[in-house]
Amino acid sequence: MSYANTKNWCAVSRFLSVVAVALLLAASAHAAAPGIKGTAFNLNAGPTFSSQPDGVLVYSWGYGCTGGTPSPAVFAPPTIGTAQGANCPTVQLPGPTLIVTENTSFTVTLRNSLPAAAGNTSILFPGAATVTTSGTGPLGLLTREAVPGGTVTYTVTYSAPGTHEYYSGTQPDLQIEMGLFGAVVVLPSATPTGCTTSYPAGRIDYRLAPSAYDSPKSCYDREYLTQWSEMDPGIHRQVEDQLKLIASCPTTAGVQFSCPTALNVVTEPYHPRYFLINGRSMPDNMDPNYAPNYPNQPYAANPHMHPGELVLVRYMGQGHWQHPFHEHGNHVRILGRDGNLLLSQTDATQLAGRMEFNTDTTPGQADEGIFYWSGKGLGWDIFAHTNASATATATCTPDANGYYTSASGATPVSYDAAGGYLAGSQNYYEWCADHNHPLEANPIGTVGGGGPMTLPDPLIVADGLWYNGTPYLGPDAVLRSAGPTPMAPGKPGQNPTPESGIAFMWHSHNEREITTNDVFPGGMLQMMLVDPYVWHIDETF
Amino acid sequence: MRKLHQILLPMLICFAPVTASAQAPGAQGGGSFRVQCPTATLLHPGSAANPTPAKSEASYSGPIYRTATKDPTGAYTFTPALTFLDHGGAIKCQEISGGDGMMTEADGNQTYMFSFGPLSGMGAIQNGQPGTEFPNVFNNPYTAGDSSGNYLSGNPNPFFDGTSPTDPLAPGANGALSDPSGIMNTGVLNGNIPAPLMAFDEDDEFLLTLSNVGMIMRPDLFEQHTVHFHGYPNASSFYDGVPDASLAINIGGSFTYYYVAPDAGTYFWHCHITPPEHLQMGMVGQLFVRPRQNRLQSGDNLFNRLAGCAVPPGSPTGTTVTCPARGVSTVVGQQSDLRTSCNPATDILCSAPIPVANTGATQPTGGAKYVYNDGDGSTAYDIDVPMQIHGFDPNFHFVGMTFNPEGFSDMKDKYFLLNGRSYPDTVGVAGGPADVLGQLASATNPDPVTHAISTNDTDSISRASQPLHSLITLSASGGHACAATVTVCGQKAALRFADLDVQEYQTLSSIGIPMLVVGFNAKILRDQAGNNLYIKTNSITLGGGESLDVILDSTGIAPGTYFLYTPQLDHLSNDAENFGGLMTEVVVIP
Repeated sequence: MSYANTKNWCAVSRFLSVVAVALLLAASAHAAAPGIKGTAFNLNAGPTFSSQPDGVLVYSWGYGCTGGTPSPAVFAPPTIGTAQGANCPTVQLPGPTLIVTENTSFTVTLRNSLPAAAGNTSILFPGAATVTTSGTGPLGLLTREAVPGGTVTYTVTYSAPGTHEYYSGTQPDLQIEMGLFGAVVVLPSATPTGCTTSYPAGRIDYRLAPSAYDSPKSCYDREYLTQWSEMDPGIHRQVEDQLKLIASCPTTAGVQFSCPTALNVVTEPYHPRYFLINGRSMPDNMDPNYAPNYPNQPYAANPHMHPGELVLVRYMGQGHWQHPFHEHGNHVRILGRDGNLLLSQTDATQLAGRMEFNTDTTPGQADEGIFYWSGKGLGWDIFAHTNASATATATCTPDANGYYTSASGATPVSYDAAGGYLAGSQNYYEWCADHNHPLEANPIGTVGGGGPMTLPDPLIVADGLWYNGTPYLGPDAVLRSAGPTPMAPGKPGQNPTPESGIAFMWHSHNEREITTNDVFPGGMLQMMLVDPYVWHIDETF
Repeated sequence: MRKLHQILLPMLICFAPVTASAQAPGAQGGGSFRVQCPTATLLHPGSAANPTPAKSEASYSGPIYRTATKDPTGAYTFTPALTFLDHGGAIKCQEISGGDGMMTEADGNQTYMFSFGPLSGMGAIQNGQPGTEFPNVFNNPYTAGDSSGNYLSGNPNPFFDGTSPTDPLAPGANGALSDPSGIMNTGVLNGNIPAPLMAFDEDDEFLLTLSNVGMIMRPDLFEQHTVHFHGYPNASSFYDGVPDASLAINIGGSFTYYYVAPDAGTYFWHCHITPPEHLQMGMVGQLFVRPRQNRLQSGDNLFNRLAGCAVPPGSPTGTTVTCPARGVSTVVGQQSDLRTSCNPATDILCSAPIPVANTGATQPTGGAKYVYNDGDGSTAYDIDVPMQIHGFDPNFHFVGMTFNPEGFSDMKDKYFLLNGRSYPDTVGVAGGPADVLGQLASATNPDPVTHAISTNDTDSISRASQPLHSLITLSASGGHACAATVTVCGQKAALRFADLDVQEYQTLSSIGIPMLVVGFNAKILRDQAGNNLYIKTNSITLGGGESLDVILDSTGIAPGTYFLYTPQLDHLSNDAENFGGLMTEVVVIP
């Protein structure tokens, strides 16, 4: 039975790794779409090591801010600035997200700090309306390049809002694999009518803009940007080994062979073992933006949202492969592709993008979608109200769309300076048609009975780290429906009682890719939480 | 196989007492299995919209307002009364086992799986039909058995009354196993690929009970299983099946999942425990939700019933309904209730926008089937064809069977499966239309009656493991759902594609019959202005976790045999056999 012991040990170690993750994270960490904003960017291309959750440091190349400062560009959104830990190292994975405005020219001056043996490098801006180049470097096949130690300047204009990629145009099969890629977010020059421009008191705006495009159909309340890439450590190892060989190769007379001076890396067959979102594998991507434990991988991927919020999801493929990105919880309405808003052929005020529960991330392609979760149509009250008990009642007056919002008399939630809940409707954005409709056949706590279901005996189930202990949403509901056998202490570590959100997994559905070098869980996996309005979503922590 | 049996027999003996003791505790004499299927609920008490929700669907003519002051048991009083907008619908139930089993590849290789098997609707499942049942069938005792009245395990079924175990209509062959001995004696090793088929209607309540019977071939594991309803809009985290975000049921217990049916469309379901492992090992099933447009009465105008936004009958005085663009304010219809309406001006994620114009399409006499609530009849079809695309890596399965941790990054599928079979097994229907050479006439596997492929398990008992063939037979003159200008309507098949492959993208091409893609990811292809954005093509490509609806129309197609096959040529193989894989046949008959 030694085999059995092996498997059990594996199971235990998997579990321990998850526990370790839980200990690492004091509370929820969030994402948004942070980057640097301006009209002049000084980027540096250089070597670094990327950290993987299996403990391996993989030799990589990346873009960063020359001199380690974004100046003259500034950090955006302003709510995730230097005070919130924002930084721009000289090399990072992915490169700094460049935030610019439509029809506004900007410059990118690239310094080539790669090892000399790597040769020239450059940047392409696919989707830009105009790109002009200047510098002393040669014109490569695709664009002007920077020689080792040299610079090249690109002057770029995008003529429409949207999301784009930038990446190396020099030996891209090697340089992009090594990490030379990043994102460009092009903001609309004006805010369409109807977009939310200010939030209620205490709620912080983490958006880059109120809309993704010039259309009011692209208004949003919250946003996340994800870049999907893979990493074949064999390629990275070849580069690292060859560079060491080149550096240590004796050049003195009498050597019987000639020293190599340039890399000669075999990039096929391609066999990735790391699957990354924003340069990190799960669970590292759930740590905050600019987390100090990943000094060269600043961007997180860990979406949170309140019910009903329109969440803009910007996503792009930056590697070799397509990845079917499965969003649990609801569909995504595709807005546009590569900066082109998809509109109806017969009515330009109407969207034509598909609704998808799986959005393909394709190398070289960037898309946006709008997502929300509202609980509409569940058939039971997810806030666990009942009118069979005096202690669990609440108001739910439907607005024109059927939800309990400020339009129908709900009080917007406000927070104190520390993000603590001050006042407001605990069931803000409840779907009122199911108000007071019970789920459970028998009463539990002060939650009424009469519903269709008997929940399983808590003693014969396994609890998840993101499970709030009940089927319900919000601390009020969770505390009222506490069962006779509570969860083990500390169990809902990723979703503590004051939060009491409900969690959904967002991940690659080519499921092999939610692993890290043969270890599950890992890879392209995020946990998305729908938090009640009483929980302040702090995207900086 | 003999070798495997020799290896595993001592193991089975070794672990049999463990299994037995797992059944022992508990007041009912066994474990924590609990099957749920109420005959009346607050949502379906037997009201005007459907007086008999435990045994039938009712026709749909828009929502009806209703209140309830008590639950159906009368135990709980609601003050003030609960309010509902009833669209009909019914209660549907299904039970599955979570465990393991064996399947037979097209080259004869027997492959070990982690898998789900049927514990209700078994007669229907073995005949390739959905195992979803009304309570009045589900709640019957399972009265079938082998010729000696035994369960699959060989132990006697005390309820046996002579019912054939493969009768797709007999209530006794389709009732749920709810007692622990029946669950264990049937569920152990009864895994299917694909996992049991589920199908129900919009507005239904669906209760799915998963009973974890353990993986007897892997007694070292104590794994939970779950069900993820893939693609459900506005899903409940609790019933989403992600173990990290909810509960997962241990061996010896049951978890019942509950949903009011989501918007019509082609979904699928799978286990969400260690997905790269449990999906590769076979825990993948198909699910589709039929639109309420199917339930319109004959003569009813499809557009009006979709666009109708009149106030539902019975509503309190003063109730108003906001009509979306192109709404019909004189008809009670799907826009009369915010839950079923689609107003793109207020909801960016609503399902089925009202089409640009009323085409005058009406429900034909005898009813019709549609993929979506299209309002124009453009998704009408004659036969449902579930089409699950999957891949098996035999090395991964062998490592999984032999008590070793499987590697993920070197995973490489070698078998490419349509509904759990590779060509030629995809069409292996003895005596069926594809059996032109008669070479299958004496076949016993697939079973000539049920058409299911069976596999000898390690306990020497043969169990139906792959019930679904993929042979599509269409009559070029037998259809009813086509344009008035066409004189001879051919039958249309709705191919409900779902790709569960965990490793790579898959393409399927059609030779000879064009594909019309009408839906993607369980949504009709239609822009917010109401224009249909259907795609006429000869190939479709899907990543893991994606679904897509194709209509194959045989109108005007010459009788003959046509093929659906993958142009990814290395997927036309069954491991070392270089011709097979992801391929099936479409037979058009006059």
